Amino acid sequence: MQPTSSMKEEFLKKWQTGLQIFRPSIDNTNVTERKKAIKLSADVAMASLRKGTTCWSRALIQKTAAEDNFLVRQMLSGIKAETLINKKLPKKTVCHRKIVRRSKKILLRRSRSASEEAAAKAKKLVKRRTQGLRSVVPGGEFMSNDVLLIQETLDYIVSLQTQVNVMRSIVDAAEAGIER
Amino acid sequence: MMMNGATEAELLLNCTDMSVLERQKAHLKYHHPGFDPTLAGFLSGPSTINGGEIDGFLGTAGLDLPVIYGETTVEGSCQFGSGNFKKRKFDCVVKTTSEECNEVKKMMMMMNREDEEEEKSKITEQNNESSKSITKMKNKAKKEQNNCSNDSSKVTKESQKTDYIHVRARRGQATDSHSIAERARREKISERMKYLQDLVPGCDKITGKAGMLDEIINYVQSLQRQVEFLSMKLAAVNPRLDLDIDDIIAKEVVSAPMTNLPLPTTVMPSYEMVNAGYPYEMVNSGYLHCNPMQQVATSSDQLSCFNNGEAPLMWDSDVQNLYSNLGV
Repeated sequence: MQPTSSMKEEFLKKWQTGLQIFRPSIDNTNVTERKKAIKLSADVAMASLRKGTTCWSRALIQKTAAEDNFLVRQMLSGIKAETLINKKLPKKTVCHRKIVRRSKKILLRRSRSASEEAAAKAKKLVKRRTQGLRSVVPGGEFMSNDVLLIQETLDYIVSLQTQVNVMRSIVDAAEAGIER
Repeated sequence: MMMNGATEAELLLNCTDMSVLERQKAHLKYHHPGFDPTLAGFLSGPSTINGGEIDGFLGTAGLDLPVIYGETTVEGSCQFGSGNFKKRKFDCVVKTTSEECNEVKKMMMMMNREDEEEEKSKITEQNNESSKSITKMKNKAKKEQNNCSNDSSKVTKESQKTDYIHVRARRGQATDSHSIAERARREKISERMKYLQDLVPGCDKITGKAGMLDEIINYVQSLQRQVEFLSMKLAAVNPRLDLDIDDIIAKEVVSAPMTNLPLPTTVMPSYEMVNAGYPYEMVNSGYLHCNPMQQVATSSDQLSCFNNGEAPLMWDSDVQNLYSNLGV
């Protein structure tokens, strides 16, 4: 599923509202501030496209709200803002690595056939990668099972593609305008 | 793709989108007239029994993985009585992994349609190919006496009485509920990974969960980096945060149908170029070169540069300084 033009439209509109909210406080300050404002509003716009249905969008909104609560609330037009921002995320799934490792060693010691070792190594690899994926996708630590994680990743990737496409076209147009 | 130590043919099964859930599709085989239902009869001529493919299975389209129970009725076969059946065991004949042979004991599930009163039996078989083939014979007999009394539910069409999900266990695999549930979960995961393969560019050649996850992680990270980079660039280019909205919106990005053409491809070249180890600057200049400058239907003054077909100026010195500061 590629980003559709309607998604891009929506994203663009929301992004603009966000930028307009940001503008009075940030106009003509240094580049870093502006960049932060741009990125923040873009992220919130992207997350609000999903209207709180996906886990990553909620996590992303909470993250941005941690940085700039007031403006985020304004951007979300107050309706869902309260519920989204204050919503408690489910508990982080925490593994005590030492304990897990020790018990795995014990298990392995019992049955040490070659094929099992290979399978165990493969499993370890996969697990490490899923952990990496959880760290990259916003709110990944809160997703309890793998199926959900992959589903969220799918959605997140599509939204990211939308965001990148729209931003890129804006940048191109802006640059072209400047060049003239 | 799922690697579960399956044999080649089972991988083939997987590739053809047959899941545990999906394999409830009944495969109707009419018995040969002179069919001898005894064990001996099966054993003697396994390859001659209805050399048919597992055909016509239903593929799941969306992500919702409907539970499918295919049923077809057997013509009232004379060998099977109307009432009681015995479970039958059948030895398998040919299998590449020999240790799984001769161990078959299947759960048998029958699903009924509303109109059916007949008993069904299913024999499915895969034809042997050269060296990598499995011959499966599943022959079912009913446990219960009455079909209707033990209706289990199908998700979509039939009328249900109970809510069991009946699953046929695969050949040589455990049949307890835990492993079946786990297998269903694994198939869900692999199905979604297939969608991811379509999304992430360059993932077609990669099989295996770990490699694909790696690609996915890299892709997501690169997308996030692109967002950062683009927002920085926009901040640099534009001293005010209004984005030249009036110029850009209605004419360029949103309404013009041609923007759909370059845009879907925009993400990919950069990603691949980044993967090839190009620094960001080169990547984006490369992209901007490739970006086709399309003609705009309604061109305003600011946008007339597009009509000239010129590539926009890549970099101000400003932005380049910013880049060195970023350490990119």
